[in-house]
Amino acid sequence: MRDRFAISMLTVAIAAASVGAVISASITHTSGQAPITRPATVGGKPNFTGIWQANNEANWDLQAHAARPAAVTQEGAYPYEYARVPAAPVLALGAAGAVPGSLGVVQGDGEIPYKPEALAKKKENADHWIDRDPELKCYLPGIPRAMYMPHPFQITQSTNKIHFAYSFSNSARTIHMDKVEGPPDDTWMGHSVGRWEGDMLVVDVTHFNDRAWFDRAGNHHSDALKLVERFTLKSPDVIWYDVTIEDPNVFTRPWRIAMPLYRRAEPNMQLLEFRCNEFAEEFMYGHLRKQPLVKRWEGETMTIDVTRKIPPGDAFYQWYSR
Amino acid sequence: MRGRFSFSITMPAIALVVGAASAVFITGLSAQAPALKTSLTTSWGEPDLQGIWTDESDTPLQRSPKFANQETFTDAQRAELDRERSALMRRDKRVERGTELDVAGAYNAVFTSQKRTGARTSLIIDPPNGRVPPMTPEAQKLAAADRDYRLALLQSTDTCKNKSVACAGGKYDSTPSPRRSEPPPRYNTVRINRHDGPEDGALPDRCLTLGLPEFGAATGSFRRIVQTPGGIAIFYDVGQGQGWQRNIIMDGRPHLPASVRQWYGDSRGRWEGDTLVIDVTNFSPKTDYQGARENLHLVERWRRTGPDSLEYTVTIEDPTVWTRPWTAKQDFTRQSDQDNRLYNEPRCIEGNYGHPGLLRGARMEELAFAEGRGPHPATKDNATDFVGVEDDPLQ
Repeated sequence: MRDRFAISMLTVAIAAASVGAVISASITHTSGQAPITRPATVGGKPNFTGIWQANNEANWDLQAHAARPAAVTQEGAYPYEYARVPAAPVLALGAAGAVPGSLGVVQGDGEIPYKPEALAKKKENADHWIDRDPELKCYLPGIPRAMYMPHPFQITQSTNKIHFAYSFSNSARTIHMDKVEGPPDDTWMGHSVGRWEGDMLVVDVTHFNDRAWFDRAGNHHSDALKLVERFTLKSPDVIWYDVTIEDPNVFTRPWRIAMPLYRRAEPNMQLLEFRCNEFAEEFMYGHLRKQPLVKRWEGETMTIDVTRKIPPGDAFYQWYSR
Repeated sequence: MRGRFSFSITMPAIALVVGAASAVFITGLSAQAPALKTSLTTSWGEPDLQGIWTDESDTPLQRSPKFANQETFTDAQRAELDRERSALMRRDKRVERGTELDVAGAYNAVFTSQKRTGARTSLIIDPPNGRVPPMTPEAQKLAAADRDYRLALLQSTDTCKNKSVACAGGKYDSTPSPRRSEPPPRYNTVRINRHDGPEDGALPDRCLTLGLPEFGAATGSFRRIVQTPGGIAIFYDVGQGQGWQRNIIMDGRPHLPASVRQWYGDSRGRWEGDTLVIDVTNFSPKTDYQGARENLHLVERWRRTGPDSLEYTVTIEDPTVWTRPWTAKQDFTRQSDQDNRLYNEPRCIEGNYGHPGLLRGARMEELAFAEGRGPHPATKDNATDFVGVEDDPLQ
């Protein structure tokens, strides 16, 4: 299987290098039907079809950062910012709960050009990560975050539509290569309209809401967000993904992030479900149970006690308590 | 329950499709592919199934005994059914004011738009009588256990006291059932009169709307198909702001290992002539289609029959549930891209007020009872919706 796959990949590369035309060898199989292969082009344009995944730390924090002990920390024994220790929610995970370091994906000087009040909100978001990050609730991830979450996504490229299916939360978007006007409401995933600039796929994304985050560090935007995404196939297995981010409500100027996206080249790769709203139910609704369920965890080295609280601003609690 | 809110956002965009809109779409299409024939084949030579598709008419899954000997309705029957249904179905009809059932039935035709009666008397084409085949004794036993549990949770409510059809098979007993503290006989998928925790909610109430086979149910459904050489993606918009997707594996490799189970199964496709044939297995034991769970096996056949038409047949098999496989057929019509611009936004969970509301409401009822301000929670029915309020003459 692996050999056959390698051959087909090689074939694709050769086809791309030579004619750019369709087809050649294929993955063979026993059912006797027409061979399946992934041509180098679709409708004369580079074929981005496949399952892809970022392999970086951008979902932790778009900006350069040193590794740190945990996503949630508290002041350590020494009063330095660099000497903090993991806080209770993630302590039991040990080193597996630590945040890996990164040189960041923000281009230029590496700064996100927040307006002062927006920067304050970012810091507040970071302080309340567990309570506020939409990822923990399995809300739709938004764009660009869906592109670099630690979950694969699948591109199905046709001529007038390019469909993106994300493993996380059943989310998806269709890039319209034909003219489709924006929706009459704002959205998490935006409205994507694409065009080709030579071999580069350029996508304008608009009609966002103000609720998605860029990462787990609390980086945020408003509903004035506009993206220009640029996809370049650097090799059969690497896309260079470059996004210009503009939001005059939040940022003083446009800024860019860029990163490679890698093909999930396993021969048996397929996009599996990550229907996380089920996984987030205890997190979101545990305080509404008749009997508390997740209360306490005892391991060999520590005991974790859980006390559920009514979340501040819980609309139902307030409504029923009138 | 919650879905209703996002439904109101999503559905207006997709509900108003049909005639004029399709015409716009076709015009747009012809700019790229002038010849009609080429629009039925992709530029790489495969049958072209692409677009947004829905069933524009209502056809019951099973044939009503009233139409036992006919596969199709006469024109007069369809006209009469349309008249009856538009006059009756959920048009602000109220049951006795102040009853629980009246509150539960607060949704009217605005929320549950109906479509015209279809040409056929059932989606089921095999068995020839248009009915789901008999269940196996084992499956009947499981279904009876589920039903007994649901009825036990209702036994002290007015629903049973008033002999509502929702209590059919059960009886009123003013003493609450001790079964209220038991878990359900198997993983719960439907609305039950208990809201002790999130998993007591029906799957749609939890934004975990049921998956395949997908016939549209009361609120309709849409599917967008995008193809690439050797690959097919299908995104479903179902159940009021819920959505999910299938990425059909087309390279002939075997199904996922039996240890990997999914809500929407595992789809393996192949072309047989101009028909896309998809074999679906590996369903999760948390799904339920008429009693079928992890052993459900589907064979779907998708075939483009015209510029705006797509024929879908599915053979449904589970030897642990039915005494024989059965087959249903549905006809889809292509919809306008322009009028379906909110597609791909399954944001049910983000605005799910209904599900935590049911839980919170149950906690408040318990508190009121404990403080002597309210009735025993077991006497309240927080599960029954439209049951028995109106009967759809099509069913």
